[in-house]
Amino acid sequence: MHDRLDISMRANHVFFGILVIVALVFAAFASFSGDVFYLRLATEALILGGLALSIDILLGFTGLLSLGQALYFGIGAYVSALVLREAPSFWLAMGAAGVSVLLAGIAGGLIANRVRGVYFALITFGMAQVVAKVVYNSRELGASDGLIGIPVIEVPLGFITLSAGDPLGFFLFTLVIIALLYSVSAYLLGTPFGRIIIALKANEKRVPYLGYSTWAARMAAYVLAAVIAGLAGALYPMLRGFVSPELLFFATSGDALIMVIVGGAGTLAGAIWGAVILTMLKSVIGSWTEHHLIVIGLIFMSAILFMPKGIVGMLKPFVERNLLRNSARQPKPEPERTAL
Amino acid sequence: MTDIMQVEGLCIAFGGLKAVDGVSFTAERNKITTVIGPNGAGKTTLFNLISGALKPSGGRVIIKGKDVTGKGPAALQEAGLARSFQITNLFFEMTVRENLRLAAQRLEPVGHALLPLRRHGRAADKVTALIERFGFAEKAHEIVAALSHGEQRRLEIAMCLASEPQVLMLDEPTQGMSHGDTEDTAQLIRSLTDEVTILLIEHDIGLVMSLSDHVVVMHQGRKLAEGIPAEVRADSAVQAAYFGHG
Repeated sequence: MHDRLDISMRANHVFFGILVIVALVFAAFASFSGDVFYLRLATEALILGGLALSIDILLGFTGLLSLGQALYFGIGAYVSALVLREAPSFWLAMGAAGVSVLLAGIAGGLIANRVRGVYFALITFGMAQVVAKVVYNSRELGASDGLIGIPVIEVPLGFITLSAGDPLGFFLFTLVIIALLYSVSAYLLGTPFGRIIIALKANEKRVPYLGYSTWAARMAAYVLAAVIAGLAGALYPMLRGFVSPELLFFATSGDALIMVIVGGAGTLAGAIWGAVILTMLKSVIGSWTEHHLIVIGLIFMSAILFMPKGIVGMLKPFVERNLLRNSARQPKPEPERTAL
Repeated sequence: MTDIMQVEGLCIAFGGLKAVDGVSFTAERNKITTVIGPNGAGKTTLFNLISGALKPSGGRVIIKGKDVTGKGPAALQEAGLARSFQITNLFFEMTVRENLRLAAQRLEPVGHALLPLRRHGRAADKVTALIERFGFAEKAHEIVAALSHGEQRRLEIAMCLASEPQVLMLDEPTQGMSHGDTEDTAQLIRSLTDEVTILLIEHDIGLVMSLSDHVVVMHQGRKLAEGIPAEVRADSAVQAAYFGHG
């Protein structure tokens, strides 16, 4: 028998696996039909999935509601864009973005982790808005126009070189990066460190009496989430060729939060599913009516009312039951019977 | 040295009320020291001061010769102290095993924090042993919220033992238990004195008298008397303040 938390994580893997399969089938169709628009859109959905994933680590596991996670997504995107304009190197851009959000995450964490609950949500919201406004008013960062003219980069992967300008190639590459971010998150949440994170959400007051520092654990989760959001954000300028202050605004944080809720908080895979579903819905509904945000809002409200656990959260118990049955069926070491 | 913990003149006031007012006592190694007193005497507040939940405004707490006054709960756990709570305080959505595992992983080196949960090793062995000892074999994979009250109270004690403390503080471990469960728990507590020093808050006077090696009586924030159970029972001030109310 496995722990329920392990079973739960394995169920998440099932949903992530299905997502990967769907993505590959979609990629096959898209390359067959020569589509570019939907491949680009799907790539953006995956990148936003990285942002949603980082929110889920905080909301679904640590029990922290961040309303400003776009801060780190935006910093990752801007740093990546600045580096790419000077030196079009994929690894340099990712490295610089990673280090920047690590530092930003530590700074933000030191501020936000002084408070809890509603105040935490408000502080994260405030920090993101302040930085967004600073960027919006900085001519060096392109002000309200953002940074444009980011060159199409080549990603050297050892044996092949992939162009960010190749819609299919870059989609698959993004899928790999997001899968890596998902795997690292899932792995860490399964370690003793991860158990403490999960314990914070379950009953934070009890944790210090077990000998663990709640502040350090919260801080670690917060910085981890910042780095994941930042690395996902670093991919954005490679896809779109520009970054704009909107990436840092509440609309981005809020959208990503909706993705987590619709997909299912506390399921990791649900965050990415939510990103894919919401991005597709926005595009499809946006082609019917320019008031697509009204429809998205209504979908969000119905999801909360009728499906509070989200899509993955709702379907997960069925998968878990199957996994439990399978793990119970595994031959247990029988106690040795002595012959009479 | 047989004294493992000294409490010297602990004080705290809430507003004008001196909830704990200069309480001193000593807990002897591998003995059961019980704090008794009427409701509102300051017993749980005293526990909160010792275990780091509250900062005392005066006095000292010394564990194994080290002054740990005013340290937080995590530091006190490090110093060898574990405590349970009057109101059951567990991770209710997790299973019995996961609860114990969380408490026991303190035994593993810090360097293991980012490695996969090990199926063997000190923490895993400890969990298996505790599940066996506390009779949770059948319910190891049950969610804690689904356990009976008595089982949850027992799990509280098991959680405290998981990190191998030297001093175990139990705040009304038999609270709300049936008579049979209370008996079992008393026996369990008695059996723990081989490993730990126990500091107990208990209301069941019969249990206190049979279980305790040393009794500290509190009344209105102050220590009224202390001694072996028989002495305390015979003390007239104690009878007036406590037993007199029946």
